[in-house]
Amino acid sequence: MTKLRDLAKVIRSKNAGALLLTLDIMFEDETTYKKVCNSGALSPRTLAPLYNVSDNQIEVIPFDVALAIKITLPRSIPAGSPGESDVYGAQQHAPLMDIEIPI
Amino acid sequence: MKPIRIMAASGMLGYGFTEEAFKNGLSMGLDLIACDAGSADPGPYYLGSGTAFVSRLAVKRDLGLMVKGGVEAGVPVFIGSAGGSGSNPQVDWTLDILREICEEQNITPKVVVLRSEISKEKLKSKIEKDKITPLGPIAPLTIDDADNSHRVVAMMGIEPFQEALERGAQVVIAGRSSDAAIYASVPLRLGADPGLSWHMGKIIECGAQVIEPREGQDCVIGTIYEDHFTIEPAHPDRRCTRTRVAAHTLYENPSPYHLKEPNGLLNTKAAVFTQTDDRTVKVSGSLWEPSDKYTVKLEGVRELGYRTIFMAGIRDPILVSTISDFIQSCRSRISKDVLALGVEENEYTLEIKVYGQDAVMGSNEPVKNSQAHELAVLVDVIAPTEDISRAVCAKARYSLLHTDFPGRMCISGNLAIPFSPSDFSAGNVYEFNIWHVMECDNPLEPVTIEKVDLFN
Repeated sequence: MTKLRDLAKVIRSKNAGALLLTLDIMFEDETTYKKVCNSGALSPRTLAPLYNVSDNQIEVIPFDVALAIKITLPRSIPAGSPGESDVYGAQQHAPLMDIEIPI
Repeated sequence: MKPIRIMAASGMLGYGFTEEAFKNGLSMGLDLIACDAGSADPGPYYLGSGTAFVSRLAVKRDLGLMVKGGVEAGVPVFIGSAGGSGSNPQVDWTLDILREICEEQNITPKVVVLRSEISKEKLKSKIEKDKITPLGPIAPLTIDDADNSHRVVAMMGIEPFQEALERGAQVVIAGRSSDAAIYASVPLRLGADPGLSWHMGKIIECGAQVIEPREGQDCVIGTIYEDHFTIEPAHPDRRCTRTRVAAHTLYENPSPYHLKEPNGLLNTKAAVFTQTDDRTVKVSGSLWEPSDKYTVKLEGVRELGYRTIFMAGIRDPILVSTISDFIQSCRSRISKDVLALGVEENEYTLEIKVYGQDAVMGSNEPVKNSQAHELAVLVDVIAPTEDISRAVCAKARYSLLHTDFPGRMCISGNLAIPFSPSDFSAGNVYEFNIWHVMECDNPLEPVTIEKVDLFN
């Protein structure tokens, strides 16, 4: 088992518009990227509980040309609404960093 | 086909670029100098208030160089999403800066303004005709939503920019615009491939995000050929890399493969990115899927009230160890104290966030037992008037400062307050309540186009 933070080069989060949050995980080499993709550790089922959404609200999209995995999910409130803590959505990636990847 | 060359001056008007890059870009022979000035990222306040999130000074510097360079070289200059949200007051703010620039430079370019604020009446008539649908997880738009809205803008496509050129524009100041459309409009007018034009526009709209080394914003050049386009930095000493260009396709998009635009969909599934030399990236294979309906994105806000905030530190170890219970008991005391002022609980919202505990991630925070030795507490009050907002915040401050907790030793005050005054008025509060798509009869329907004489 290896933590995702020790395998990836970039782990970032950002709004995709006011209603969605998008998380990008980028890798430096194709071997690690493929291994993480194929590990099954990053699936809607495993990620949904981290963000308090249901499986069918979360999308995991591998993007081969950039050796990247994109995860998109709804924000709990529209960006900047009362109760907001992160208007840009730039600090919502931390729970991904400690995910254990079985490789 | 003659190559079509577009320069994005910066990722955001006001974020800057180097004069060296700008001059070098100009010397390459350009068909357009453009800059996106907008973003919804900073949140609903800027659309609500009609104010900019960049400084006037910075916009004047960037726009001044662009207009001077464009007018001298006979290259059109486009600004999209002027002022940040592209609302009418922000367009006017940008025009005012342009007027000052033209006066100082003693030039009189032909200026066309594209406005895309949408009236409540227009919205309601579109709702009645069933022409507005949600864009993502939001409820369908109702007549009430339209009535409650404070300001709404439509995101225009390429056609208004092209129409501005037909009318002889040398400088175009546009309201809310699709980022990619600002740049794609010119190559598409000249007959370039739509997939390549839109993809090029999407990549250069964030300026130097695709450039190494990353030292702030700078100019980027996109050049469209028959069957591919290239991306390169305008600065002679910088580089575009395949990794950065490919990675940019991901940025702020829900999907890396599809980008919805008013008149179709950009599909980058088959796109091929190639590093052709150490500073240039070639892209081919981007596809365009035209749609039969013309749709524009709507962004709208409603007004919620007035915000007052208060922030303080907590260092007492006993209070740090019992913070959740303490906040709970303060909350009930605050609501009683506020009720005694004649203000009902449903008239205001009170948020108390504890930094050092879970202020950033809330209920998603995986760390349950923070080991922090000091905490920050943030009080955020939204109420219908400034008076009520300040009154609730003051009650919250008093309660947090002086409420007892089990084992309390620090009986002269629970908080380290960093400022005097302690409470801050944060002005009007807005909320995005419209994030929808509107079907149009034609591409110019949501836009008003006017030639502006800056000096009359």
